[in-house]
Amino acid sequence: MSHEITSQLLSAIGPWLALVWCLQRLATWLRPQLRGWTQLTIMGAMAAIVLLVPIQGLAISRWVAGLNANFSVPLTGMIAVAIWERAFAHSVFSDREWRASLKFGAIGGLVLYPLALGLGSLDPYEWGWRSSPLFIAMGPLTAWLIWKQNRFAILLLLAVAAFQLRLLESTNYWDYLLDPIYWIVSCVALVRLFSVDVRRRLPQEAL
Amino acid sequence: MLILLAVALNAWPWLNAAGPSPRLLLPARVPPSDAPAKFEEDVINPDSPHAMSHVASIAELFGGGFAATWYAGSREGGSDVAIYFSTRMPGDERWSPARAIVTRASATRDLRRYIKKVGNPLIFSDPKGRLWLIYVTVSIGGWSGSSLNVTISEDEGQTWTRSRRLTLSPFLNLSELVKNAPAALSDGGWAVPIYHELVGTFPEVLWLNDRDGDIVATKSRVSAGWYGYQPAMMPLDPERALAVLRDDDAGKAVSIARSGNAGRTWSPPETVNLPNPDSGLDAIRLMDGRLLLAFNDSSSGRENLRLAISADEGRTWMRIATVAEEPGADFSYPFLLQTSNGDVHLVYTWTRAAIRHVVFNMAWLNGWRH
Repeated sequence: MSHEITSQLLSAIGPWLALVWCLQRLATWLRPQLRGWTQLTIMGAMAAIVLLVPIQGLAISRWVAGLNANFSVPLTGMIAVAIWERAFAHSVFSDREWRASLKFGAIGGLVLYPLALGLGSLDPYEWGWRSSPLFIAMGPLTAWLIWKQNRFAILLLLAVAAFQLRLLESTNYWDYLLDPIYWIVSCVALVRLFSVDVRRRLPQEAL
Repeated sequence: MLILLAVALNAWPWLNAAGPSPRLLLPARVPPSDAPAKFEEDVINPDSPHAMSHVASIAELFGGGFAATWYAGSREGGSDVAIYFSTRMPGDERWSPARAIVTRASATRDLRRYIKKVGNPLIFSDPKGRLWLIYVTVSIGGWSGSSLNVTISEDEGQTWTRSRRLTLSPFLNLSELVKNAPAALSDGGWAVPIYHELVGTFPEVLWLNDRDGDIVATKSRVSAGWYGYQPAMMPLDPERALAVLRDDDAGKAVSIARSGNAGRTWSPPETVNLPNPDSGLDAIRLMDGRLLLAFNDSSSGRENLRLAISADEGRTWMRIATVAEEPGADFSYPFLLQTSNGDVHLVYTWTRAAIRHVVFNMAWLNGWRH
């Protein structure tokens, strides 16, 4: 299979999982008894059908790819984990692992996007094409997370493996680690978690 | 085991580091000729049915002759805008009828994603006789939402490979544009001057290489963040290069950045003694080592198009000739090429209605020497 076909197939996985996640939330609300493989099969098929619908000769999945060519590997993995946890009511990521995922997306995006768009003289995006501080940072970070038995490390490991196999359209390591959707979702989720934490603490401190 | 794998996969780029960085190639020198001065002008698309034609580039074909590209349509950024192509073979009196080689529909089909409009095309030829076309597409927003794409022709523009999109920006691959010609590299690749204009506006170099059909593209920055764009890049020798920049700032002057390591890093841009009304320009290094610049000689408009020459590697410039001038008119986006016989070709947008082609030789150029 050519690299182009592989990358186009993979570019559909992110939107497909995101749509499955949305449909699953809807289904949980409408028909809470629908769970497990039955739920996954129905939602997966529905999402696939929707994404294959052509608009002006282009499948919806390709319209999404026109905006965001690929979801990053961690974001794709996180959506898959979220779907699995909801379908089987079984926790795959602990709270600590979800927070690690969100912190990585938020901090990584904060380092990458403003600088790459010109808010500074340094362009960290260049690091993703060659031996650079990015690789120096990611090796020990992933190893440390594995050592701490943090399952988010598996997603980072899959990201570097996908990069080495050049599975996505991009040849830049950053695009395997991060994408703007992941960054925005992470920032919003962390702000929400932070505000929940603050609210939880406030009454205790008042006492 | 997993720890080892994580370290090994991230260490691989260090273990598998590329060889020495490529050097810049300079075109072969042509012996001085005693031919009389020559200056000829024609219009590439005199019968254009379009209200707007803009952003031309020209390349020398392997077997002689020339190929030119530009975009045309009802208006800049219109959905009917297409990239047009024309050739002029040795002995031809006129350019061939313009033919659309990239349309919004063909780009959507090739790239398998929605394309709202097409824009700046750049054509150049390689030593294998192939023509490369790098062009801009936009899926969302205006020109700052651009992406770059590449397609190659092995039969002098008769047919083109399916376009490939280059991923050059982390933020939805937005805001990479091209205008001026690339510099050839010793490893067979190209250093293409490109620019970014979303949030920050700055010039960059696209490093392009065709490794057995696999097009490898990376980029690096020319100047940091905020100043100058639409660069024209000139090698001075295998290591030193110069980038002439369009001004998007209040300075309203042409500026120049310099590299001492074949374009990998650059000095901060410095303005020179020529104005720039935030309009496209182009510059080339002539075979005799002097630099030739085509620019709008004004800080407020595009009513003239002039040539300037520098004999001291861009430190000082001397205006030598006016190619076009008319009050209220618009002469813009010049593109220069010195061909293997030493002639200099200039194509530019003529009042937004047509693409004009000018050819002159060194005798004509030297006749302006004071």
